[in-house]
Amino acid sequence: MNLIDIRNLSIELKTATKPILAVDHVNLKMREGEVRGLVGESGSGKSLLAQAIIGVLDEKWQVHVDRFHWRGQDLMRLSPEERKAVITKDVAMIFQEPMACLDPTATIGEQLEEAVDVAQLSGFFWQKRQQRKLAAMNLLHKVGIKKHQACVKSFPHQLTDALCQRVMIAMALARRPILLIADEPTAAMESTNQGQIFRLLASLNQLKNMSILLISHDLENVTHWTNTITVMYSGQFVEAGTTEQIFNQPYHPYTRALVDSSPKASSMIPNKSRLMTLPGSIPILQHLPIGCRLGPRCPRAQQKCVHAPKIKSYHDHQVSCHFPLKDSYS
Amino acid sequence: MLIFTLRRISLFFFTMLLLTILSFSLSFLFPGEQLINLTGQINATPEHLAALAHQYQQQASIVSQYFSYLSHLFQGDMGYSMASQLPITTEIFHRLPATIELTSVALLIAMFFGIPIGFFAAIYHRKVPDNLILAIAMIGYSIPVFWLGMLAILIFSIQLGWLPSAGQISLLFEIEYVTGLQLIDILLSDSEYKWQAFQDATRHLILPVIVVALAPATIFMRLARTAMLEVLDTHYITAAQAKGLTFAQIIYRHAMRNAVIKVIRDVGLQFANLVTIAMITEMIFSWPGIGSWLIESIYQRDYTAIQGGLIVLSTFIFIVHIIIDFVYAALNPLAREPNHGT
Repeated sequence: MNLIDIRNLSIELKTATKPILAVDHVNLKMREGEVRGLVGESGSGKSLLAQAIIGVLDEKWQVHVDRFHWRGQDLMRLSPEERKAVITKDVAMIFQEPMACLDPTATIGEQLEEAVDVAQLSGFFWQKRQQRKLAAMNLLHKVGIKKHQACVKSFPHQLTDALCQRVMIAMALARRPILLIADEPTAAMESTNQGQIFRLLASLNQLKNMSILLISHDLENVTHWTNTITVMYSGQFVEAGTTEQIFNQPYHPYTRALVDSSPKASSMIPNKSRLMTLPGSIPILQHLPIGCRLGPRCPRAQQKCVHAPKIKSYHDHQVSCHFPLKDSYS
Repeated sequence: MLIFTLRRISLFFFTMLLLTILSFSLSFLFPGEQLINLTGQINATPEHLAALAHQYQQQASIVSQYFSYLSHLFQGDMGYSMASQLPITTEIFHRLPATIELTSVALLIAMFFGIPIGFFAAIYHRKVPDNLILAIAMIGYSIPVFWLGMLAILIFSIQLGWLPSAGQISLLFEIEYVTGLQLIDILLSDSEYKWQAFQDATRHLILPVIVVALAPATIFMRLARTAMLEVLDTHYITAAQAKGLTFAQIIYRHAMRNAVIKVIRDVGLQFANLVTIAMITEMIFSWPGIGSWLIESIYQRDYTAIQGGLIVLSTFIFIVHIIIDFVYAALNPLAREPNHGT
C-alpha cells in the first residue's frame, strides 16, 4: 500500500502583483518502510514541499493539490483541522539548523516532555508527570544519548549541533511517527556527525519500519542511505526512481548533469580539465521560464520544451522530459 | 551569573562616578558662590562660611574638593535647601517614596496592560484588531501628558466627581510615616479606619497612575507586538507546529516567554521616560513626590535641591534599570552566561 500519494501539488507565493508558482505540479509517492531521497538544488522547492505536506506554511503561501492520499485515506475530503490531526499524528519532521528549531529559553527536558503523546500515558495526572519524564529519558536513549540527566537539564545553546539534531529526532520519535521528513538534517555539520545522524536514521528505518523522506541537495551522499530518489528542479518534478536507476541510468538531462557534476575517484579526469556542469544558474522566482524550467540550460532542449512535458513512466522510473535519455543506454 | 552581577556592579560604580562628577560640577556652573551652591547655606555668617570652606577643603585641589563632596554625600549630607533651609536629605526622604509608589505602580500597570494587548495585536497580525490596537497606541502615544492630566481631572473629578483630583490621601486620615510608601504604611498602621484609608489612597492613585502609564503602555504595546511577530517567525515556532502542538500551546509555552524577554530588555529604557512623565503628572495632581519638588526647586533657583534631586532621581532610575536587567537574566538563559566569541 502506498504510504503517501501526492499528485500535482502546487505552491503559490502570494505577491502584490501576480502569484508566483514556486512549486509546479509535483508528484510524490512513497511506500511503507521506504527511504526516499528528495534531491534538488537550493531553491528548488523541496523544503516548501515538505512544509506543505506537514502543513506548517504560513498564510503567504497558497497550496493546491489534486490528490493527497495518506495510507489510502483521501485527506482532501477532510477539513483542514482533521487533516492536520491525521498528519501530526503520523508524520514528524526534523529541520536543518537544529539549534534554531529548539526554543532557546526552555530546557531540552521541557521540550521533549511536551512532545510526548498524551495517548501513550496512563493513570492519573500526578502519575503522568513521572511518565512523561520517563518517556523523555527513553527517547533520549533511543537516539543514542547516554547522559540523559545532563541533557534534560541543558538549554539548546549548551549542546552541539549534532546533539541538538538528535534531540530533534527524539522529539520526532515521541509520537511514534510512520513517516519522518528530514529536511537537510545534516546541513552545516561535520562529516563524522553527519554519518552518525544518517546511521541513526537508517537504524530507525530498519528497526521500526519508519519511512523517511530525506531532503538533500547532495545527490551522492543521499544515494548511500536511500532506496528511491525523487529529483526536483526549480519547483518542478524532474525524475523519480530507485536509487540505482537514478544514479546509474538517469533519463533526465538534469539528473545526468547532477550525477556527472560530482567527481568520483574511479573516473579518469584529466588534469586541469573542467568538471561537467550545466551552463547558467537556477532561475530566480521572479523570472521563471515557461514550460520545462530547465529549458534555457538544457543541452537537449528543443522547441517543444516551451510546453511542460507529460510524465512518462518506464517500470516505476518516472521522468518528466520530452527527450529522455532512455535510448542512450543500450 | 557571578560575572553578570560583577558587570552590573561595575557599571553601577562608573555611572555613579560620572553622576557625582556632573552634580559636583553643577555647583560651579550655577550662578553664585560655589560653596553656597553646594551647601545651600545662604544666610551663613562669615565665620560659619569659613568653617564650611574648611570642611569642603576649599583651599585644596579640585580633586580633594570632589572627594570631600563625595564623603559628605555618603554621610547623607546633601546640604540645605536654599528655599526652605531644611536638610535636602530629609526633604528627599519624605518625597521619594511617593514617587516610587506612583512610578512603580504605573510601570506595572503599563506592562500588565501593554504587553498582553501587544501580543494580542501580533496574533491577529494585519487583521482588524491589529489595526485598531495600532491606531489606539498611536493616539495614546501622541497625547501630551499635561493636557491628558488636565482633561482627566476635568472629566473624572470635576464633571463626573468619581475620583479625587489632587493629593495622595484625604487629609481626614492620619497615617504614621514608616516606609513612606503610602499603601504599605496604611496596611502597617493599626488605625481602625485602615480599610477606608486604603480605599481612599487607592482612589487618589488611580488618575495619576493612568495618566503616567498611558504613554509607556502604548510603547509596550508596540514593542510587544514587534517582539511577538519576530518570535512567531522563528524556526522553533515552525518546529513546534510540526511537533503537533496547538496554536494556543505554542503561544503560551514558547512564544510568550521569548517575546516577553525581548520586551523586558527595553522596559529599563522606558522607565526613564516614565519618570519624566511622572514629574509633570506630580505637578498636575499635586502629588507630594520628588518630581514636583524638583520642578518647584527649578522655579525657585534652589541650586542645592536641584543637585540633590538630580542624584537621587537618577540613582533611582538606575537601580530600577539594574533590577530589570536581573529580571531579564532570570528569564533568559542566554544572558546569564558569559558569551564566547560573539
